[in-house]
Amino acid sequence: MALSTTVSQSKRIKRKAPRGFLKRIFKRQKPHLRLESSCDLLVHLNCLLFIRRLAEESRANACKNKCGIIKDQHVLAAAKVILKKSRG
Amino acid sequence: MVVPESALKPVPAPQVVQSPSGESSRGSLELQLPELKPPTTLAPGLLLALGKRKQRLRLSEFQQGVDQELPLSPGPLTEPHGNAGASSLTSSLNLALATPPVPQSVQRPGLARRPPTRRAVDVGAFLQDLQDTSVALALPGDSLRTPVATLPTDTVLEDTQPFSQPLIGRSPNVRHSLPCPSSSAERTVGRRTQSSGPRLQNNSPGRPDQLLVGKAEEVDALAVGFPNTSNSSSGEDGLQPLQDGVGEEAEDVMEESLSMSDEEEAAGAQGSARAEEPKTHKEGTEAEGSWGATEAKELEGPSRDKDTAGRTGSPELTSITLEFQQARQLEFLEPAQPTSTAVGLFRQQSIPAPSLPPEPLSARRPPRARTAGPRLRQDPYKTGLSHYAKLFSFYTKMPMEKAALEMVEKCLDKYFQHLCDDLEVFAAHAGRKTVRPEDLELLLRRQGLVTDQVSLHVLVERHLPLQYRQLLIPCAFSGNTVFPAQ
Repeated sequence: MALSTTVSQSKRIKRKAPRGFLKRIFKRQKPHLRLESSCDLLVHLNCLLFIRRLAEESRANACKNKCGIIKDQHVLAAAKVILKKSRG
Repeated sequence: MVVPESALKPVPAPQVVQSPSGESSRGSLELQLPELKPPTTLAPGLLLALGKRKQRLRLSEFQQGVDQELPLSPGPLTEPHGNAGASSLTSSLNLALATPPVPQSVQRPGLARRPPTRRAVDVGAFLQDLQDTSVALALPGDSLRTPVATLPTDTVLEDTQPFSQPLIGRSPNVRHSLPCPSSSAERTVGRRTQSSGPRLQNNSPGRPDQLLVGKAEEVDALAVGFPNTSNSSSGEDGLQPLQDGVGEEAEDVMEESLSMSDEEEAAGAQGSARAEEPKTHKEGTEAEGSWGATEAKELEGPSRDKDTAGRTGSPELTSITLEFQQARQLEFLEPAQPTSTAVGLFRQQSIPAPSLPPEPLSARRPPRARTAGPRLRQDPYKTGLSHYAKLFSFYTKMPMEKAALEMVEKCLDKYFQHLCDDLEVFAAHAGRKTVRPEDLELLLRRQGLVTDQVSLHVLVERHLPLQYRQLLIPCAFSGNTVFPAQ
């Protein structure tokens, strides 16, 4: 039959999504709006993709400067580009 | 006895340092070191003498004592303390105390030169105060002993050896120790500063009130006390010697604290775990009581000095001790209940006086309450962001700097703001007040993540775990049902 809305099988999930944290953030920013239950999972997906893009861009910046370590200026430059892209 | 063991411990240590001396007696002592852990019965006087005497008598007397197993020659160490008589705690405490001073004295012979000044009267009063305070304070607080505590405790412990019983027991210990505070104190002090011991006792009676203050104060007191002692500006007799002792101790505190912790543990067998590290319960341990008493005394002294005489140089010590101890203490103390921390700190100061001047307490309490607010708000938000920041470092597969991680968190913060605004616009565009998955999909599309070639379901399958996938992607089940329902 239909599975329950809660996660079953193997109670432990690797890389859990901080659903409560995301819900709280949304509520803090837009208290007059409501967020559906499955939406925070998509928000989490969006965050993952954003972080992934940011990380790849930062890594490219660091490699461009021939640096073995990612510094904050690499991250800053990468953030400028990626934030613009993910403005929607 | 425990005391002897601890005393031996420090003694052997210095002796080891003094390799040239390697005498048979010393060797025996060194050997005894390993036995320190389990409190072995060594001539208490011996150990005490060792501790007290740190520099001068230590070597010679120690040897004598070792050979004879008799209390070291009378001197700063008051054999009469009834070395063995003191409760095991005190003895253990003494040991603990003694050990640090001994090595110190070896390292800094100049510091050790301090004629022990003991005041029986002061001790009695001090002990009573200690007892009162110790009883009043929750013993569990003692367990928190912070490293700072250990520092002052060294001196304090030495003095409070006779008291060594835990707070709960501490008061009784204090009482007991009081009777022979001078003797026991001397012994304990012998480790570091013989004089400091008695001084502590003297000081403690006056300070117990001060000591009770919150840990912050204690730390500060310690710090102040150290500088004060170094300055010895305090007019009080007891304060000065205490201060001096504290000053010395402050320097050695670092070393001692470390050594003390070890010794304490060793001695702690009897007394307790007063170990500097936060030991939660140690109330019962005598060592704590005595240790705390000694600390309290020290702290009291310094705190008193602060109040009484201008503290000079306290900032130096304070910074030193504070950093060292505060880091530890504060961590422990803050999380711990205020009383406990106070107790723990108190212990360090060994100021059992329940009526510590409110200022130190108030000084400590308010800051704690103030930080409670912003901390709560910041922590969950920060932890959530750091959760994603960790994923960032995982995706890059490269080492990162801490500053870069903080930058990532800032970007995430901005990103969340943009996200919420966009979702609001999309929901308003659809004439809804609730954000639906369609809005999210539209957002992903606008971001360029979802294209005609890559659909949302593909992304969901790629990046989310199975449990979430099942919740998001509609799937047909038996019985002609689809979940999630569309």
